[in-house]
Amino acid sequence: MIGAIFSEVGLTVLFLRDIVRTAVRNPINGHLIAEQIVKVTQQSFATTALAGFFVGAILTVQFTLQVKQFGALGYLGGLATSGTIREVGPLLIAFMLSGKVGAFTSAELGTMRVTEQIDAIRCLGANPLLEIILPRFIGIVISSFFLLAIGLFMSIFGGLLMGVLFSGINPDEYLRHIPTIVSLVSIASGLIKCFVFALVLATICTYKGYATTGGAKGVGRAVVSTAVATMVCIVIADWFTSFIGDVVMFLFIGD
Amino acid sequence: MIFEAQAARIGRPIEESYRATREFVSLFAQAIIQSFVPPYRVKDIFKQLSFMAAESAPVVIFCLCFAAVVTIIESSFHMKLIIQNDSLVPGFAALLIIRELGAVVTALLVTSRVGAGIAAEVGSMQITEQIDALKMLGINPVRFLVVPRFVASLLGGVLLTIIANCVCLYVAMLVSEVKLGYTPGSFIMAMRAFVHFKDMFFATIKGACFGAVIPIFSCYFGFRCKSGAEGVGLATTNSVVATSVAIIIIDFVLSWVFSYLY
Repeated sequence: MIGAIFSEVGLTVLFLRDIVRTAVRNPINGHLIAEQIVKVTQQSFATTALAGFFVGAILTVQFTLQVKQFGALGYLGGLATSGTIREVGPLLIAFMLSGKVGAFTSAELGTMRVTEQIDAIRCLGANPLLEIILPRFIGIVISSFFLLAIGLFMSIFGGLLMGVLFSGINPDEYLRHIPTIVSLVSIASGLIKCFVFALVLATICTYKGYATTGGAKGVGRAVVSTAVATMVCIVIADWFTSFIGDVVMFLFIGD
Repeated sequence: MIFEAQAARIGRPIEESYRATREFVSLFAQAIIQSFVPPYRVKDIFKQLSFMAAESAPVVIFCLCFAAVVTIIESSFHMKLIIQNDSLVPGFAALLIIRELGAVVTALLVTSRVGAGIAAEVGSMQITEQIDALKMLGINPVRFLVVPRFVASLLGGVLLTIIANCVCLYVAMLVSEVKLGYTPGSFIMAMRAFVHFKDMFFATIKGACFGAVIPIFSCYFGFRCKSGAEGVGLATTNSVVATSVAIIIIDFVLSWVFSYLY
């Protein structure tokens, strides 16, 4: 069990190394990448925006219940926005996005593998890593990063809506404390997390799709294991970036 | 002529969406009716239940607990930032977990694991003409494929929501002791002030509704899968998107209904 996990992690890292090597040694086809970016963004935009909206709304309700007791409703906007952007938002939106982008990519690549299209490309003398995997990998990293960032942006509006409907404060009051409480460090931490999650997501879903075996059932299995691996790895990456962020903050600020 | 072309251009999407809705509703109705018709495929249901609930449980609970821990630590950090007091965090964390986070995040994670898996499997069956083969053999594909998944997912949603909520509350208690310094006793006192048994019951109803929706959407998109490698991927994403949106909408509706029952 443990051995299987380690060998899977090792194979994924080797696969990532192959991708990077292919990317460095070959000219990058910008057209294919742009196509992937458009496709992924177009498909996932609505879900990600909705997920961000939902996360913002939940956190606003949560903070409303608490600050109301202290009569500090004026700070609600800043609190909810900062709370969402720093950690909770990227994590929950990445969970949603992983289900979507990850499932699509691994199902597509898996079906290509089991219907022997990848072998056909190799037979034609082309490198499947360069032709199929690399554009998807780069496209997913770029578009997931932007999608997550847009999800975070949408969470402000979700929070604003719940602030008006649920806690009954007016929009100006909600927005006024956002710049005073949300610091640059919070935004940077949120964006770095978005980028790391995008990288994790792209690596796992391309690897799992590429390594599919065993017919129609195998495609289903690949999709399921992509979802599981992505969720667990996103949690681990979240913990890890927080840890490294703490260390960096300690080195530079010494607090 | 121009007017007719315009009318057709407007009318076609409406007709298509009407047809899609009709197909979806009829699939849902068929699944419900067929699940009451004997003979019951108990063995299949248990197999699906094991795949959906038992095998999803570790990863779902792990992610849910992590999300809860992050939320608690973040709200404590921010409450201390503004009013130097995080005494209300444990109670409201329990409230948040039971009312929203437990049921919804569990369902969303199950969607991306189970829903995507079902859609990919059924979609692959569709494009390799296995479903046509079932029909040729005189087997109703809804009865054969959808019903076991539907029943198993309904039961699994209920069970998984209860277990995930319990584990998540326990982890929240742990975190409030280790990170925030509130003893388990004070956590439970805060919980009793904010959360009632009714809340657990409502969470279970939510879990059942989400569980019922997941396989229907996945099978619907799997059956409509177009041929080719991209078709399966498209069916998978569409099912995940539709299910996630449906879960969030159902959650809003149910929360609104339950808010009259407190």
